[in-house]
Order: sequence, then C-alpha cells, then structure tokens
Amino acid sequence: MQLHAKKRVEIIVEASCAPTILEMIEATGATGYTVLHEVSGKGHRGLRAESNLTDVFSNVQIIVIAAEAIAHEIVSRSQPLLQNYAGIVTMSNVDVVRDDHF
Amino acid sequence: MFASDARSRLTPWFFVAIIAYRYSLHERTALMAELLQIAAGNLLSPIVMFFVLGVAAGYVRSDLTIPEPISKALSLYLMLAIGFKGGVALSASGITSMVVLALTVAIVLSLLMPVIAFSILRVVTSLDTKNAAAIAAHYGSVSIVTFVAATSFLDYRQVHYEGLLVAMLAVMETPAIITGLLLARRSADASSGEQEPIISAQVLRQVFLCGSVVLLAGSFIIGWTTGDKGMQLMAPLVKEPFQAVLAIFLLDMGLMVGRRLSDFGRVGIQLALFGLYMPLIGAAVGMAAAWAIGLSVGGITLVGVLAASASYIVVPAAMRLSLPQANPAIYVTLSLAVTFPFNLVIGIPLYHAVARLIGPA
Repeated sequence: MQLHAKKRVEIIVEASCAPTILEMIEATGATGYTVLHEVSGKGHRGLRAESNLTDVFSNVQIIVIAAEAIAHEIVSRSQPLLQNYAGIVTMSNVDVVRDDHF
Repeated sequence: MFASDARSRLTPWFFVAIIAYRYSLHERTALMAELLQIAAGNLLSPIVMFFVLGVAAGYVRSDLTIPEPISKALSLYLMLAIGFKGGVALSASGITSMVVLALTVAIVLSLLMPVIAFSILRVVTSLDTKNAAAIAAHYGSVSIVTFVAATSFLDYRQVHYEGLLVAMLAVMETPAIITGLLLARRSADASSGEQEPIISAQVLRQVFLCGSVVLLAGSFIIGWTTGDKGMQLMAPLVKEPFQAVLAIFLLDMGLMVGRRLSDFGRVGIQLALFGLYMPLIGAAVGMAAAWAIGLSVGGITLVGVLAASASYIVVPAAMRLSLPQANPAIYVTLSLAVTFPFNLVIGIPLYHAVARLIGPA
C-alpha cells in the first residue's frame, strides 16, 4: 500500500493553556488535531495529575499530524505560548495512508 | 511597615472591644462551656471526620480515590442544592433594601480583602508582586465548600440565616480577581510600557461562565422563582441527602489536601502562618460589616466564613491564565491545604461563637 510521509507533533501542556495552543494550531492551517484529556506524569513542575477541583494541576496531550512546513510552524509558534506553562513538545516522522487528509 | 501592621491590628481590636462589652452581660462560665461544646461537636461531626479520614488516607498515599466524574457530580449537586435553597429563602423574605445593602457589602469586601492580604504579604514575606497579588486574589474570593459546610453547621444547630447569603456568596467570587490583577499590574507598568487589557476576554469567559458559577446562580434564580412550591418538589433531592453528600465530598477534598501536604516545602512557614491568620483578619472585617448592617447571628457567622475563606476553583484557573508567572503550587496549597482545613475545623465554630456574642439576641 502507498504510504505518505508526514510529521507528527505532540504537545503535552497544562489544561488551562490548551485552548490557546489549539487556536494557534488552527491558525497555522493544520487540518485537525486530537486531544487526550487527563494525562498525568511527573517532571519539572512536580507531580501533575489531580483534576477533581481545578485544572491547574492537570495536563492534556495534543497530537497534530501535518505536512512538514506546517509542523515546523506549530513547533516554533508554540514556544512563546509555553513560556510560563508546563509543556513538552516533540516532533516525529509518521507515515499516513490518506495523503489528502493531512 | 507600621501602616500595614496598624491596619491588620486595628480590626481585631475593634472586635475584641465589642465582644468584651457584650461578654460582660453574659454568664461567663456557662457560655464558655457551651462554646467548647460547640467546638467539640464540630470536630466530631461526620463531615469533619470524613475530611480528616481523607487527609490521612491521602497523606499515606492510600489508593483510595473517588472517581473524577463522581466527584464532579457531587460538587454540582452541592452547587445546585445550596443555590436552590438560597433562592427559595429569598423568595420567602422578598427583595428588601437589606438585600441591596448586603450585596454591596459583599462586593466591597471582595474588592478590598485582596488589598489587605497583599499589604501583609509584602511586609511579612519576601514574595514578589506577582505571587503576592495572586495569593491576595484568592483570599478576597470565597470557598463555596467552606460556605456549604458552614450552612450545614448552622442547619444542624437550627440557627436561622438569611437567604440572601447565597447571593452574597455568588457575587463575592469574582471582584477579588480584578483587584488581584490590578495589584499585580502596579509593578509591571513600571518596567514595561505595553498596555494589555487588565482582564482578557478568555479569563472573563472562564470566570463568569465557569460551571460552578452558572449552576449556583441558575439554581438560585430557579429557587427564587418557584419558591415554596418548587421546594416541595425538590426537597427529597436538595434537603434530605445534603449532609451525607457533603460528607462524601469532604472525604474527596481531604484526599486532595492530604496529597498536597508534600508541597508544604514550597510554601514555607511564613506563608503557612499567613494562611492561618489571614482568615481571622478576613472574618473580623466581614463580621464587623455584617453586624453593622444588622444581619442575624447566622448571617454574621456566614459573612465571617465568606470573608475568611479562600478560593481554590475559580481564582486559581483565572490566575493561571492572567498571571502565569505566579506559582500555582504556592497559591493552591495555601488556600486548599492550609486555610480550608483551618476554617472547616476551627474557623466555623469560632466565627459562630463570636457571632453569638456580638449578634442580635
């Protein structure tokens, strides 16, 4: 089967900052994204898990698959937005089946 | 230094004077015994004991958890019930000049309290402006759960309170955020010339359309519109199970507090102490205001509780967006793990005891 090379950008960010990041992603012209809620773990900002009362200590994971140019745009635009927030940004190579979807 | 010291000293002394005056009219020993009994009764109430169980279990890292959707549902239930009951109570008493006066007092308290908290923090701690302002905003706003626990304390003792208190609760939530942001901005302006709006559209939306605020205000309006007839219909849900649901919710709060106890290191002793005496200052100011406008003993108690409590739902979310440089581990730990337990265990019976001394017979 014919596969097409794309970039997969993954951003783990605190929940309260997520709307800003998603707005930015749409502005870059990416065709879509996936959000996983209630992502927990430990890092620079200590344990980040609980979410029963406040979003302040909870994380979400945002996944975007896009053409290389857009993926780079998302990564570079994410940096100023994440200045004061917990955030992990990674980019990796993936192959997709439906080229025109991304 | 002297200015803000004097400010924080004056209010409690004003209070002591009133108490001393009223106190001399009472039989001292009998009253003291009764107050001690109330305090002990509060400690041994299921609500406080479930909270303590939660703190202990959370602290020793037990795997006891209340699933997130259930916890959310419990908190929605509490908002709905307290809003509805307040609305029904207000429909019985009607809109009077007292309502307008009380709401004005509530807004002024919420706007003013952060200024007091901020001045104290700047004097006694080495916190920077942003962190001090963020904490100050929390102390001007209110804790809905502390208020709910206080109404349950009063209901249990069959002490009446005005329905308009719930309206005061609703309006006190947000003004403090604006004061907090203004305090934070004072220093920011000096360094950078850029002018951003004090409060962004995103924050405004978050604050006013926050689920708990919408449900509380909405249930209040529904209760107010439907009155006693509505209460007949809703009573099986909003009255009977209320205490038990509150106990389960406080178990969950206890678990969160217990898990946060390890963050104490970041708070430090000076700040932890602030989390204990700031509610006393707040309560003194609030109760003086409630007494001045002529609220009942139950009303004075609850205004004391409102002014003493610190937010940990709406304000942290707003501060995280508006003042991202301030450390959430400090402000959430302080309001959730220091001030909330203090008010729940010691504050509520204490404020009630003072209210009985100064309030109308």
